[in-house]
Amino acid sequence: MSEFLEFRGVSKRFGTVQAVADVSLEVRKGEVFSLLGPSGCGKTTMLRLAAGFERPDAGHVLLDGEDITDLPPEKRKVNTIFQSYALFPHMTVRENIAFGLRVAKRPKSEIDDEVDRMLRLIRMADQADKKPDLLSGGQKQRVAIARALVNKPQVLLLDEPLAALDLKLRQRMLIELDMIHDEVGITFLYVTHDQGEAMGLSDRIAVMDSGRIEQVGTPVEIYEAPRTSFVAAFIGDTNFLDGEVTGLEDAEYSRLEIAGVPGIVCFNDKAIQAGQPVFLSIRPEKVHISRDKPEAEKLRNMLPAVVEDVIYLGSTTKYWVRAGKIRIQVLRQHSRFFLDEKPIRWNDEVWVWWHGDDGFMLERYREVDEDLLAMPPRKVGESDGGNRR
Amino acid sequence: MKRSRLPIWITVGALIFFYLPILILVLNSFNASRFGTGWQGFSLKWYAQLLHEPEIWLAARNSFLVAFGATALSVVLGTAAAFALHRFAGSRLQRFHYALVYMPLVVPEILMGISLLMAFAATGVRLGLGTIFVAHVTFCVSFVAMTVLARLQDFDDAVVEAARDLGAGWGVTFRRIVLPMIAPGIAAGALLAFTLSIDDFVITFFVAGPGSTTLPIRIYSMIKFGSPPLINALSTILLFVTFTAVILSQRISSPRR
Amino acid sequence: MKAGPRKRGAEWLASGPSILWLGLFFLVPTLLVFVLAFRPSNPFGGIGAGWTLDNIRRLTDPAMLAVARRTLEISLATTLICLVLAVPVGYTLARVSAKWRNFFLMLVIIPFWTNFLIRVFAWKTLLHPDGPIKQVLAFLGLVPAGASLLYRPEAVVLVSVYTFLPFTILPIYAAAEKFDFRLMEAARDLGARPFLAFRKVFLPGIRRGLITAVLFVFIPALGSYVIPDIVGGPGGEMIGNKIAQRVFVDRNLPLASALSVVLILSVLAPLISVLLLQPKGERPEIL
Repeated sequence: MSEFLEFRGVSKRFGTVQAVADVSLEVRKGEVFSLLGPSGCGKTTMLRLAAGFERPDAGHVLLDGEDITDLPPEKRKVNTIFQSYALFPHMTVRENIAFGLRVAKRPKSEIDDEVDRMLRLIRMADQADKKPDLLSGGQKQRVAIARALVNKPQVLLLDEPLAALDLKLRQRMLIELDMIHDEVGITFLYVTHDQGEAMGLSDRIAVMDSGRIEQVGTPVEIYEAPRTSFVAAFIGDTNFLDGEVTGLEDAEYSRLEIAGVPGIVCFNDKAIQAGQPVFLSIRPEKVHISRDKPEAEKLRNMLPAVVEDVIYLGSTTKYWVRAGKIRIQVLRQHSRFFLDEKPIRWNDEVWVWWHGDDGFMLERYREVDEDLLAMPPRKVGESDGGNRR
Repeated sequence: MKRSRLPIWITVGALIFFYLPILILVLNSFNASRFGTGWQGFSLKWYAQLLHEPEIWLAARNSFLVAFGATALSVVLGTAAAFALHRFAGSRLQRFHYALVYMPLVVPEILMGISLLMAFAATGVRLGLGTIFVAHVTFCVSFVAMTVLARLQDFDDAVVEAARDLGAGWGVTFRRIVLPMIAPGIAAGALLAFTLSIDDFVITFFVAGPGSTTLPIRIYSMIKFGSPPLINALSTILLFVTFTAVILSQRISSPRR
Repeated sequence: MKAGPRKRGAEWLASGPSILWLGLFFLVPTLLVFVLAFRPSNPFGGIGAGWTLDNIRRLTDPAMLAVARRTLEISLATTLICLVLAVPVGYTLARVSAKWRNFFLMLVIIPFWTNFLIRVFAWKTLLHPDGPIKQVLAFLGLVPAGASLLYRPEAVVLVSVYTFLPFTILPIYAAAEKFDFRLMEAARDLGARPFLAFRKVFLPGIRRGLITAVLFVFIPALGSYVIPDIVGGPGGEMIGNKIAQRVFVDRNLPLASALSVVLILSVLAPLISVLLLQPKGERPEIL
């Protein structure tokens, strides 16, 4: 029997705000499952529904097949790592970790052994008698983890645990969390707004927006095959090209016309019919750029363009080019010594191209999702070309 | 950047202003002269005389009795009030409750004294230690409530959720987590109530009966009709006691890191 | 989120005791004072039957009006002087380093914790005709040899300032501590001279603290009893003394009530005006 956490059609509203709207999810035993989305998307509410601090207005929460919807938090076999850690300030590290076991009235020898084991796991055995106000952020977080894990919960709920840490520490703690998960094997339900954390740590991710699930999948699936403009724009960067399906290239590929440019090819896994309007999304790193015209190949989309913006970032360079009415962002990695090349500059005439496999057609596009992208402001007086209806 | 020295000088001046009368008082308590107009040698005779004033000791005893009692009751009432104001903040009942708790803090003491006196007179209640006790509780509740409320507002609610998350029911959570965390706030409130009660004059003056004197009332009659040097000695003792109490209160409410 | 019946019950349980106590021993007696103002006084010192406006009429006696005016003047003078002194002190305290700050705060607070009567008495000694201050001033020729520093309104103001100054310093300090002093630097950068920056940037910046400070002085000052009683003499009497005299000397409780009503109204006036004039988010903080 697999221990898993299941949400069935849960909804929760606070006042006039629908925080979670009819969401269903399954978390598999032993996996690291992340809820990823911007603030206000409902991910924290989902976590609190799992922990028992909120009751759903509708739907059920199941743990290992058992309906825990009406169970209060102290009776659930799940434990939470709070964003503020919420360590008990009047207790030492040792007492904090031991709390859950003492409440469960375990024998003293067992408590001592388990707490010592945890202290070794988080490498804080020499700080066991300190009070939380003397600890650093990273140390507090480790104590919070130990305090939760020592109770051997069926699921560990993590509420943006790295949000309060600075960048370097965050990166280190991410690796530590990974290691802890490998060692302990408990199911993690991880909530974050940071895609780097989610992508780096998770087995699967659910991307949420406005109380709904946009897409569930592995990090690779989410990144390479987003279903909606929200997912495409929230994770990483992308280009949104506005067009229309004009016909089939062959069994798996469609032909599109984008801003008056015919013959763009794209893999069609969504069975979009000819004559339908569609948005094509292509990630900048999948687009190539050069001064010389590339070889024409089957399934290769090529466009002549003019360079409008260049940002040199060291290991990569971002280019914004204009091909007729289409504006495309290109991300180029410098895998050779750059000073040897003649760099591509503003107003240069170039060719950009990408493979038909590398773009994706979106099931749903919303203009507001473009605000999630990191694009430079458009020049004044310029028409928006093919990127807007 | 050149900054005016004026504020600093005013500050120093203000501090001298604060301490001058007190220093004179303390000095004069050791002054053998009766009138404090000239120094006539160091003497402890006023302190010795103080020990032989039974009325002062009676008044002190009354003050402490009332203070302990009033502190105890006002801590209970005030802490409960603070919880209600914090937990249910915003409801109509609590807005009324807050105004009710807040008013005694801003109203001049004489108004509280006179209104209680009227109430006792109108209902025929005899004035004595009992009425003093009631009056003291009435103004102490507000101070305790505000002190504890300030602590509660700094309270990290996530800690309560963490306790429940780890398996503790409401009873255990309250006993093991909430209470120890707010204990310093309650202690500070209690100390505040105690000091206010010991020190209170105006309200006590109005509701005290002929037979019941507290220390401040005794001091007042000594000021009006009695011997200045004794007051100096008594004041110095009280200064010392309050000073110690304040240091203690600071240690309790903000432990050294 | 609507609280269920169980929560409602808990709310009443927690609020009940304090509401009951304060309602019974604070609210009701205050209302009683209003009622008693309209009752005649009993020759034996109690409360007579029936209703009358006599007490209200006696409020307009020239003697009473003089006392009322004096009370207002003394309170205003005290408030003004306290503000003028407290602002520089609060400013200084907010600017010194944290180590010194705690030390200075303790210094400011310690006298405040000593018995109030004692401090007033200390001033009585100091201001005594044979006391040190009078001797120094007479020596310097600033006052005639026969004058008395005691038993006059000025003495009341002086001792009141002494008493209420800490109450003014603390809220101003609290506001100054939260004030972003870089705003002053910005003002200087834009060409303002120090005093102008102080007036136009700092003072408005601590407005809430200033209002709290005014309330903390003006209202208690209106209700002063002890200070005018000990150092004020007949020339320095305030409304509080009159109330006490009506109670203890004349045994005229209804007239005392009428006077108290005047005091209550004069206390409510600034409170309510502050409440009404401030937009909701800008209410002065209470320490």
